[in-house]
Amino acid sequence: MNDLLVTAIQRFSTADGPGLRTSVFLKGCPLRCRWCHNPETIHFSRQVLYNRQLCINCGRCSAACENGAHTTGEHRFLRENCKQSGRCVAACPTGVLEWDAKVYSVEELLKIVLEDRVFYGDEGGVTLSGGEPMAHPEETLYLLEKFKENGIHTALDTSGYFEPKYIDRLAAVTDLFLWDFKDSNSERHLKNTGVSNQTILSNLERLNALGAKIILRCVLVEGINCEEEHFKAIAETFRRLKNGVRVELLPYHALGGGKAVLLGNEDNGRREWIPKNETIQKAKEYLNAWGIETLVGGM
Amino acid sequence: MQQNSKFFFGENRPCRLCEETRRFAYESMHGKYGDDAMSHPAVALDDIENFDTLSPTEQYDLSIRRICEEAPLRICDGELVSGAATLGQAIWGVVPAFRGNQAFIPSISHVTLGYHKALKIGLNGIEKELDQIIAERGQTEHSKSLKNVIASFRIWHRRYVEATTGEVQKNLLQVPLNPPTNFYEAVQSLWFMFSFTRLCGNWPGIGRIDEMLGAFLEEDLKNGVLTLERAREILAHFFIKGCEWIQTEPILGSGDAQHYQNIILGGVDEDGNEVTNAVTYLVLDVIEELGISDFPITIRVNEKTPKELLRRAAEVVRLGGGVIAFYNEDLILESLVRDGYDLREARTFTNDSCWEIQIGGKTNFAYHPFDSLRLLLDKTLGLQEETPNDYPDMQSLYEDYKKQMNEQMELIFKEKITDMLAEDDNGRYESWKTTFPTSVIDLLTEGCAENGKRYLEGGPKYRICSPHIGGLADTVNSLYAIEQLVFVEKKMTLKELSRILKTNWEGQEVLRLFVKNRYTYYGNNSDSVDRYYVQILNDFADCCAEIDARLPERLHFVGGVSTFGRQIEWSPYRLATPFGAKAGEVLSGNAGPTPATDLSGVTALVQSYCKGPNVRLTSGTALDVALHPTSLKNENGITSLVSLIEGFCRLGGFFLQPDSVSIETLRAAQNNPKDYKTLSVRISGWNARFVTLNREWQEMVIEKNGGRRDE
Repeated sequence: MNDLLVTAIQRFSTADGPGLRTSVFLKGCPLRCRWCHNPETIHFSRQVLYNRQLCINCGRCSAACENGAHTTGEHRFLRENCKQSGRCVAACPTGVLEWDAKVYSVEELLKIVLEDRVFYGDEGGVTLSGGEPMAHPEETLYLLEKFKENGIHTALDTSGYFEPKYIDRLAAVTDLFLWDFKDSNSERHLKNTGVSNQTILSNLERLNALGAKIILRCVLVEGINCEEEHFKAIAETFRRLKNGVRVELLPYHALGGGKAVLLGNEDNGRREWIPKNETIQKAKEYLNAWGIETLVGGM
Repeated sequence: MQQNSKFFFGENRPCRLCEETRRFAYESMHGKYGDDAMSHPAVALDDIENFDTLSPTEQYDLSIRRICEEAPLRICDGELVSGAATLGQAIWGVVPAFRGNQAFIPSISHVTLGYHKALKIGLNGIEKELDQIIAERGQTEHSKSLKNVIASFRIWHRRYVEATTGEVQKNLLQVPLNPPTNFYEAVQSLWFMFSFTRLCGNWPGIGRIDEMLGAFLEEDLKNGVLTLERAREILAHFFIKGCEWIQTEPILGSGDAQHYQNIILGGVDEDGNEVTNAVTYLVLDVIEELGISDFPITIRVNEKTPKELLRRAAEVVRLGGGVIAFYNEDLILESLVRDGYDLREARTFTNDSCWEIQIGGKTNFAYHPFDSLRLLLDKTLGLQEETPNDYPDMQSLYEDYKKQMNEQMELIFKEKITDMLAEDDNGRYESWKTTFPTSVIDLLTEGCAENGKRYLEGGPKYRICSPHIGGLADTVNSLYAIEQLVFVEKKMTLKELSRILKTNWEGQEVLRLFVKNRYTYYGNNSDSVDRYYVQILNDFADCCAEIDARLPERLHFVGGVSTFGRQIEWSPYRLATPFGAKAGEVLSGNAGPTPATDLSGVTALVQSYCKGPNVRLTSGTALDVALHPTSLKNENGITSLVSLIEGFCRLGGFFLQPDSVSIETLRAAQNNPKDYKTLSVRISGWNARFVTLNREWQEMVIEKNGGRRDE
């Protein structure tokens, strides 16, 4: 079992499934969604975050780095020279240079969740999110199995893009799927996420055949997927689910862009992608008209 | 439900009360009656001849009589209950009777009085019991004073009977002299007794309002003589009247809504049956709609607390204001029984009208705070000395700290206990010293009449002297930082660290930021630092137990953890800390973390806190948690808050004060105080309207809610 890179453990998480939850965000994703809300979870290796605004130019990083990735004087982080040795992170006194993820063994993660169990009440539990948790299939399945053994409600936030051979095992240990339904248009899906939606749709179909409980989570990106045809596809897809809970509409927000800046990507989110209120209302009403419970935002 | 009201009490608050009641609330909460009271600060006693030759008790009795004869009456338009504390000096905690324009008798706070008894047998019943005692033992100055207070009360009561009309007058003809016969009379009775004690300058708590009033309401509902809607209106007037000390232009400080009018809801009764009833929910309705913060409410939570009650409470918590807090009843009962209280008696617990536990109506309580951080910095480390102290290892350093804490407690014992008790020839402390008269309080405190002694002279059935440890997280974090820097990582010697602290980290910014940012401190469920929290509290509890054993029975020396905002007044005296705070910073509050060091989420904070020996700290340990409003939205936010409260109790927490307000709202209130007159925040055992806090207190609240301090 490999150790996992975890970008965040969110306690008292109230928007990723029912009740009070502990959400664990695993790093690494095979998709490259242009609107990604959690860009720090995309890559499978650790990266150095640099928060320029709080830097005191102390020069410790520069002295520690063997690759010339940090300048002296007015500090600049020359990311192209960075070989991820982590020496600068260890040397930085202020926390301005920080790994974007911490390493946890699956046993450590299990311990943290078990300690939180007392707060879960009748409905809460754990949510594995990411990134794409199923990009680490054995670890994710192991954790879910262990959670279930301990009587903890499990939710998996997934893009649905993973090898179909895991479906039976996954269905057996996952109480609720938060299934991202990014775009119904295959061409656009490929263009904007970097992968085809064929596997995702066939995985969904197979999970549905097994009776899995599913919330369909649909990102809304203005100018990309906010037309009626897509809303219709959401509705039709949801209606086919045997055990569909509801649709959750997740309007694009520019927060992911802020995090991208810390990762050295200066494109800090596109404001024109933020859906207009009318668009969100329209999508909600459209789905309601189909008799589908629709929530804007998570739970 | 009426949707269009002219009177606004905050976003998302429902509108159930009639427009007339809402108007009354709006006026009261915006200072109409507080201003009125300030126009009559006190009655004057200057015309009484030879006053100075009278005994203190005689002077007191005459003061109370004069107050009852001359305090202005106030009968508000449309009010459903009458009686008012109309003399402004009572707002400042003195008996509002002046000699030469000066108050001269202190009053009492931090107490919950025996209103339940007044409801049960009426003031006539109380007088009858008193007469019985006098008949058996003869009259004393004390019993005579109690009789005088009752006679004065009758004068004040008579004035209201004559000034009121209709139903209010009819009710006053029955109560509070006689026991109430229905819910409406019961509310009037409770209010009138409460109002009287406040009129005389005292700040008592109310106690278990649902337990006192519930049976009356359920009987009336069953008999169809009262509707729930009407009952809600009546109860709302009780709360609105309780805002009578709010002023339009209060003096800024630690907040104006802190007259300790605390209320307890739910929990078990003496026999162990759940109290929660229709009144419990009506109280929540009223708070939800009007956002009244002058009655801080604590709900007693046990394994059997109805889920519906917790959900209703969570809905009100979500609106912000910090009005509602939670006790872990099972733990508190265990704690009280360990301290020697009979279980039936323990089950009646209330608080001192802040949040420290006491048996209401039977207890004299006092607490004595001390700053644990200064003990470490000044005494153990000796940072004020030319040559600070050195220690070869962590163990010897901690041993010294423990010694300092014990000495601090001996000091409290010497100063406070010997304030109250005289030492006899055998070195025992059995006899009580004389204090000022407190007959209004004595009348409603079990034991005073029976023992023939005043409230502060050992009269009450129980007496509690409670040392409270503050700055705890800061001390814990300091010890951990020393351990890491000096003894584990050996980055420097203790001598070097002490020199750096003495010079307030001057020229050591890089190192300071390192210790501040690179260690995990208390509040993140990390055993390596939390173990100091557990250790200090166990040693503190041991020390309390050792002193307790020296005291007469029924005088309890029990500890608690609190700061009550004192981290502000302590800050100028604190030197730089080993965990990277500079001298003079405002640090941790109550049993909470040092600001901005709890980075792992609220459940991790609760886990750290619950490692402490809460059951051994009967006075109470308070944990404040700030929950961002967005995390509480939708039904799922309610579900999550309920399971947080339940988890808190299961893990062995004592007292939880959740608040939910966004930094944006608080900053907006700073910028436009006029628009946020009723915005309330939890401070500790009290609430405060945010705009009545001075800047220092406001910044502390902002930081507590996750914002950045604006220096």
